[in-house]
Amino acid sequence: MSALLYKQFRLVCHPMTWVFVCFGVMLLIPAYPYTVAFFYVTLGLFFSFMQGREQRDTDFSALLPVRKQDTVIAATAFCAIVECAALVIAVPFAAIGAKINPHGGNPVGLDCNFALFAAALLIFAVFNAAFLPAFYRTGYKVGISYLKAMIPTAVVMLLCEALPHFPALLWLNDTTAAGNLKQLPLLLGALAIYFAALPLTARVAARRYEKVDL
Amino acid sequence: MNTLEVRNLRKVYPAFTLQDVSFTVPAGSVTGLVGRNGAGKSTTLKSLLGLVHPDGGEVRFCGMDTAENEKAFKEAIGVVLGGIDFYPKKKLKTITAVTKKFYVNWDEEAYRRYMALFALDEQKRVDQLSNGMRVKYLIALALSHHARLLILDEPTSGLDPVSRDELVQLFKTLVADGQRSVLFSTHITSDLEKCADAIVYIKEGKVYQAASMQEFMSTNADKGATLEDIIVAIERRAWDERAFI
Repeated sequence: MSALLYKQFRLVCHPMTWVFVCFGVMLLIPAYPYTVAFFYVTLGLFFSFMQGREQRDTDFSALLPVRKQDTVIAATAFCAIVECAALVIAVPFAAIGAKINPHGGNPVGLDCNFALFAAALLIFAVFNAAFLPAFYRTGYKVGISYLKAMIPTAVVMLLCEALPHFPALLWLNDTTAAGNLKQLPLLLGALAIYFAALPLTARVAARRYEKVDL
Repeated sequence: MNTLEVRNLRKVYPAFTLQDVSFTVPAGSVTGLVGRNGAGKSTTLKSLLGLVHPDGGEVRFCGMDTAENEKAFKEAIGVVLGGIDFYPKKKLKTITAVTKKFYVNWDEEAYRRYMALFALDEQKRVDQLSNGMRVKYLIALALSHHARLLILDEPTSGLDPVSRDELVQLFKTLVADGQRSVLFSTHITSDLEKCADAIVYIKEGKVYQAASMQEFMSTNADKGATLEDIIVAIERRAWDERAFI
């Protein structure tokens, strides 16, 4: 598995994936839909999968002494590492963003707080669950798989950004320590969903990929 | 002893069927897989490598079932698929650094020796190599993990006569110790005449004949003196010139 992950990073990963991982810097933009910063991370993953296809990574991997399902598990792990790196990099920018605007006044949607990170985790979980099984149905249709994944991902993004507009849910925009503490269960719940979804996603994608004739 | 035994391999596509393909690759031999375009050579190779799912049949490598021992089988073989360039923008050094992590038997000393023998520069990118050098690089990778069987799909296509001759000589040298074997598909029959010990002739998804080179030539002597003449005679169809006017 470690060899497959090493291959993924050395031979498949597109440089733009790392650029988009750093898009947490967008959390400094005032009055902005911050979940977009995490949407760009999925675009970075799309670039890497496209790079893999163009560089015949599927064929190369198929000839290596590994099980077909291991290549899917490695690709899922690659997505998870990229997404988690994006979340970690976004933390300092979120902290600065909250300092700049300590009273939670983002008029667009979610502000820089735990609720935003919970939303990001849900967005990534939905994206992985839709994109990876769609891609591994063929092993080469990257574009259409990404488009298919974008529909549920966009729905979750819009929903998350819309929530703080309901008066009863205004606390989701709170960036104070007390506000973040109230949002902590949401973050923990989203973390649980994200990490529980990863093996399920990999299993479904691997099952589909097993049936593919290369 | 046979390095590879293929029995009744079958793969059904909507417009093509590979039917009960059976042949063996003895240890220490070069076996040529021949047939016209679309005959089923690549499907045979892909089926035995597990890249496509055969609908029937059995492949045994050194006595073990390859489907049940996929990892061990792939550890012990080297594959060169002609016309497929992996990671064209990556340096050979990078590809090697990744590839060697997958093989328990990786021999760095052997790798250095083959790179020097083939005059390959690790700092070059794949797309900076000629077709012949790309094939040699993949062979160097295969030999560096002590592959007992090299499976090559049209490795000499697009190569100049000198490069082809070098590869053919290399195949003969590789199998000389009686441990390694080569199975390769090609359209360039003169290459096979120079190095093949056995021929597996596939026609319309079936094995037309699988025999030693000597036996193949003698049983088809009435069709021509060279392998090319024999193949043309076997494959020639009734020709209606008026159909093209």
